[in-house]
Amino acid sequence: MKILLETNKNAGIVALTGLDLGKTIGLMYHMYTNGVIVTVRTEVPKKKPKIQTITDLIPGAQFHEREVADLFGVIFEGHPNPARLVLPDDWPDNLYPLRKDAKIDEALAKNETAPSKAEPTPAQNEGDLVNIIIGPQHPALLEPEKFSLKVDGEIVKQVEPRIGYVHRGIEKAAEQRTYLQDVYLVERICGICNSCHAACFVETVEKILGVEVPLRAQYLRTIILELNRLHSHMLLLGHAGLEIGYETLFQYMWRDREPVMDLTELLTGNRVISSAMTVGGVRRDLQETDVPKIKTRMATLNKKMDFYHKLFENEPSLKMRTQNVGVLSKEDALKLCVVGPVARGSGVAIDVRKDEPYEAYGEIPFNMITRDEGDSWARLIVRLDEVNESINIIDYALDHMPSGPFRIKVPRVVTAGEAVNHVEAPRGELFYYVKSQGTAYPERVKVRTPTFANIPAFIKIAEGGNIADVPPSFVSLDPCFSCTDR
Amino acid sequence: MIKELLSQLFKKPATSKYPFVKAEVPEGFRGKQVYDANLCISCGLCSRDCPAKAIEMVEVDGKRSPLFHLDLCVFCYQCAESCPRNAIKSSEFFELAAINKSDLVLKPEGNAQKGKCEQQ
Repeated sequence: MKILLETNKNAGIVALTGLDLGKTIGLMYHMYTNGVIVTVRTEVPKKKPKIQTITDLIPGAQFHEREVADLFGVIFEGHPNPARLVLPDDWPDNLYPLRKDAKIDEALAKNETAPSKAEPTPAQNEGDLVNIIIGPQHPALLEPEKFSLKVDGEIVKQVEPRIGYVHRGIEKAAEQRTYLQDVYLVERICGICNSCHAACFVETVEKILGVEVPLRAQYLRTIILELNRLHSHMLLLGHAGLEIGYETLFQYMWRDREPVMDLTELLTGNRVISSAMTVGGVRRDLQETDVPKIKTRMATLNKKMDFYHKLFENEPSLKMRTQNVGVLSKEDALKLCVVGPVARGSGVAIDVRKDEPYEAYGEIPFNMITRDEGDSWARLIVRLDEVNESINIIDYALDHMPSGPFRIKVPRVVTAGEAVNHVEAPRGELFYYVKSQGTAYPERVKVRTPTFANIPAFIKIAEGGNIADVPPSFVSLDPCFSCTDR
Repeated sequence: MIKELLSQLFKKPATSKYPFVKAEVPEGFRGKQVYDANLCISCGLCSRDCPAKAIEMVEVDGKRSPLFHLDLCVFCYQCAESCPRNAIKSSEFFELAAINKSDLVLKPEGNAQKGKCEQQ
């Protein structure tokens, strides 16, 4: 690991996968170097699961290690903050849900009768610093997460996040369902980027099976994924307006987002959860009569985006709230291993669509948008420009749509093997690891969502800023907690 | 600014008058299921593949038939895809709110009549 980091300065951690191997627990450090994922494997005995932490080498690994510690009971020696991250505080000790021998139902039944051990920790003020807790229920955050801010007057000095309020155990649930059912399960990890989850999962399974999907299916998937990105980015830009206190922007943006939702419905059969992907292709073909409908709406949207461009460039109230607020430098972005528009807003040129093209992205010309400012405004403007790029990608894909089958038949039982895969979701790089034992049920499904990688950046962004700037700069990261908690 | 204001003044509202004007859904929308008992061969594939475990196989007049729990259903239509005889089809009916959970059970025998009521 050290050698890897010394030889390549831009290396970062993508995910840390735990794996129950019977007597030992396997740990896989998926590292990202020059657009390729390198996996470093190690094993620790189950009876004494201890390993040296890597947070001193890569600060971005903090959250990954805490998650594995929660779910597999691996102790990372020397970790700066080994508190619980995803499991609730009153979860029984020595019960690690992702181990295969964990008797969860039994332990939980016992725990329900016992009085809850967890006591709410009162907000304690340390010296001159005042503790302010944002969440789990807070008007600025639409999803339940907790952030304890230590403030000195108006200035935030320290941030302590706590996630896991909507942890649904989807990784465990995926082990108990067939591959076919898992496509619909992983799709429900996140409502907004649902197609990306499904696409990433089916691609991983296709890698294990060693099948290549037809070209038409690849183009159709690209269109669906880009529609997904369009509506996600527009949702965020509108939401950013809401947090800044600019509600007109919110209303306008969401009004213009509606045609994109309608197109998703036209193409896939539902507005939000598309359920369009399946192992071996897509589930329904594009009708020739739908092509002009999509094209006209894309043209209208393209025109409307000019208006928003002018607005973001010129509107003083919007610029005052976002420019030079929540600055994340390029060095910090690399160190904390952030992904997606957050990284690109800080000048880090990473985009899975360019680095390791999947589906039809290798054949479609488009630009990677980067900004060097690193502030909230840059992160928003990156998304705004990406909306235009997405429109162009959809137009190009419709013009160059190859004919042929849109799906192929694949066996239900997946051959033994394992694969990693990553796609560029609207919020950044989405990573999947799937291990198969040669049955219809996967042995392990690991999901690393973009927001999970971006939360450490929020700590950096908020520290040193005003309390009033916390919600807008937080929203500029486009956080999605259903994703994060899984 | 003024141009935008004037253009907005004479536009129709962006919202639709939903309960009074019925919302239209595109062809192929995944709404409430329509089950055709005559085509069903009681194989149970729909029930086996359902990711939400919303389909129960029940005995109706000596024939095993699927019973849809619409409160569990995620409307992915894997059942329709798995069905070897196309006995499950989608409809454009999406107003599924009910007061009782028991109203959300699609029983195989009464299905033909129910479907007719909704069309009216």
